[in-house]
Amino acid sequence: MIYQKPIFRTMADTALNIEFGDETNIPLNFKILALDSAIAANPPSGLLETNPQVRTLGIVYNPLVTTRPNLISALSDLIESLGKIVKLPSRKVIIPALYDDPWSRECAAAFGVRDNMEYIAEFNHMTPAQVIEAHTACDYWVTGVGFVPGAFMSYAMDPRRRIGAPLYRTPRSWTPARLLNFGGTTSTIYPIRVPGGGQLFGRTPINIFEPEQRNAIFKDSPVFAKAGDRHRYVSISRDEYNDIRAEVEAGTYEYQVSEDLLDCAEYIAWLESLGEPAEKRDPGSSWLTE
Amino acid sequence: MLEIIKGGLHTTVQDMGRQGGQCLGIPPSGAQDGFALRIANLLVGNPPGGPLIIRDDPGAAGLEITMAGLKVRAGSDLLVATTGADLGATVDGTPIPRWQAFMLRRGQQLAFGMAASGARAYLAIHGGIDVPPYLGSRATHVRGRFGGFKGRALLAGDILPIGRAGSASETLAGRRLRPELVPSYGREHQVRVVRGPEAHLFKAESETAFYATAWKLNPRSDRTGMRFIGPELGFRPGRPSYLNEEAGADPSNIVIDPGAPVGTIQVPSGVEPIVLGVDAPSVGGYARIGVVISTDMSIIGQIQPLQHAFFVQISHDDAVTALKRQEALISQSSLVS
Repeated sequence: MIYQKPIFRTMADTALNIEFGDETNIPLNFKILALDSAIAANPPSGLLETNPQVRTLGIVYNPLVTTRPNLISALSDLIESLGKIVKLPSRKVIIPALYDDPWSRECAAAFGVRDNMEYIAEFNHMTPAQVIEAHTACDYWVTGVGFVPGAFMSYAMDPRRRIGAPLYRTPRSWTPARLLNFGGTTSTIYPIRVPGGGQLFGRTPINIFEPEQRNAIFKDSPVFAKAGDRHRYVSISRDEYNDIRAEVEAGTYEYQVSEDLLDCAEYIAWLESLGEPAEKRDPGSSWLTE
Repeated sequence: MLEIIKGGLHTTVQDMGRQGGQCLGIPPSGAQDGFALRIANLLVGNPPGGPLIIRDDPGAAGLEITMAGLKVRAGSDLLVATTGADLGATVDGTPIPRWQAFMLRRGQQLAFGMAASGARAYLAIHGGIDVPPYLGSRATHVRGRFGGFKGRALLAGDILPIGRAGSASETLAGRRLRPELVPSYGREHQVRVVRGPEAHLFKAESETAFYATAWKLNPRSDRTGMRFIGPELGFRPGRPSYLNEEAGADPSNIVIDPGAPVGTIQVPSGVEPIVLGVDAPSVGGYARIGVVISTDMSIIGQIQPLQHAFFVQISHDDAVTALKRQEALISQSSLVS
């Protein structure tokens, strides 16, 4: 559900979360990204960091400089002033991917679980080829960046193309870097070798986290993804994978990124025309929100 | 320079950590017991840096020595201090006092044994450990393989550069923390907590049990998360059905959400609450019953595996008061010659 008014959650003495709802919802994320931009343009005293995610904006602040009530008051004013969100800056990014790759298969085998691509296909009543087709058929909206360095969460912008699969019941102790994976309907990429529970279905040759910052795209930050990006995946062959990987390792790969704006109002109108509900409701639920 | 003869169980270069990484997935890292590292730096005349997360500057880098086993040799005369856990430190076999600055002469060996009390000792050296800063800090983040010394824990044979010493460094030898301010690390710890963002989703009796239990630290704990063994906690009935798809079938699953930078207490499936440490992920997908106050992340860092901790609920205002009280102690007036 989407709350009538955002809820300010206390996170002990140095942080608070502004929670807009309890569900995954791209239009809800537009509000969070718009608020994040408004804060960046006009930061309240004592505010140190923001962490925009799909349904919540995280705030880190210095309680020796401001008080929680003063900060909440300044943030409430910014929320009030947001108005209708018309457009948001949104980069278009092409991500090449080798689907149904040997590393995903080997990793699943090493942990004694069945081939993840087969499982994803079965879970979505598809063939593996249809999974690849669905995953490359629409843009994925990046709702937030984080978890481990460079990781991100993204969701299919076309609800008719939305696929996914549940996380492993017991997470793996390692996963090779750069594997594409689903956790529910969240589509993401492991930036580095990490533990994890996502269902593995492909590998990208491009770095999405580069601590050495060799490639020009990493000049300002070792992290590639930005909240508000639109990712479009392109299926490549093993030979193309090897070629791109060699360029990435040489630091010469040219990332396919274009600056753009998303017309949020138009997107929301399109979702409505598809009959998508604006929020999810369960009338039988008795859970409180606070 | 400082030569590593034995790296010990897990020793890393740490300062007070990085800022600005929450929106990138980059954790603050830094000392798990910031109080101990900052006092060690003050004793040897280094900038102590500001408090965890909200600091203006990360201070000088020292070593965080976990549980046991570091052995180092001085490449020149160094003013040093050890604070935090009691690892039975000796210089060429002679025990040395903790929370006190002293000269480690060129060629002398400083060795740490097993933890008698506490879990993490800190070693500060006048001039600081001069590894290159990464994203504004010298803190090591081992999982990300960046910061500190080559982005990893120290190994035998590593040579650590030390920043330039001031001329007056020898005159600081013998300074110590006022005895009444030296923390004592017992077998049972008290950790203060502010009620968490999803506390209302737990059954009332489970929330009561959370604060009434002596939780045992699981040995499978580290700077990413400290896991506590105790009773299973339950969730209220009436969960919205759409969360099965949105967040997962387990009642502890929530749609992913920012954590506080440190200290959130997640309870996956209601078992083994996890206190997220300084190397923790920037987002989470499990209900959080509470958040440890920033000051008490120091205590979290000193609990040994299998020791017990009680969580004590306090108000947000009392948490800020605790922070102010701690900051007043990070000062020359806390030291005596």
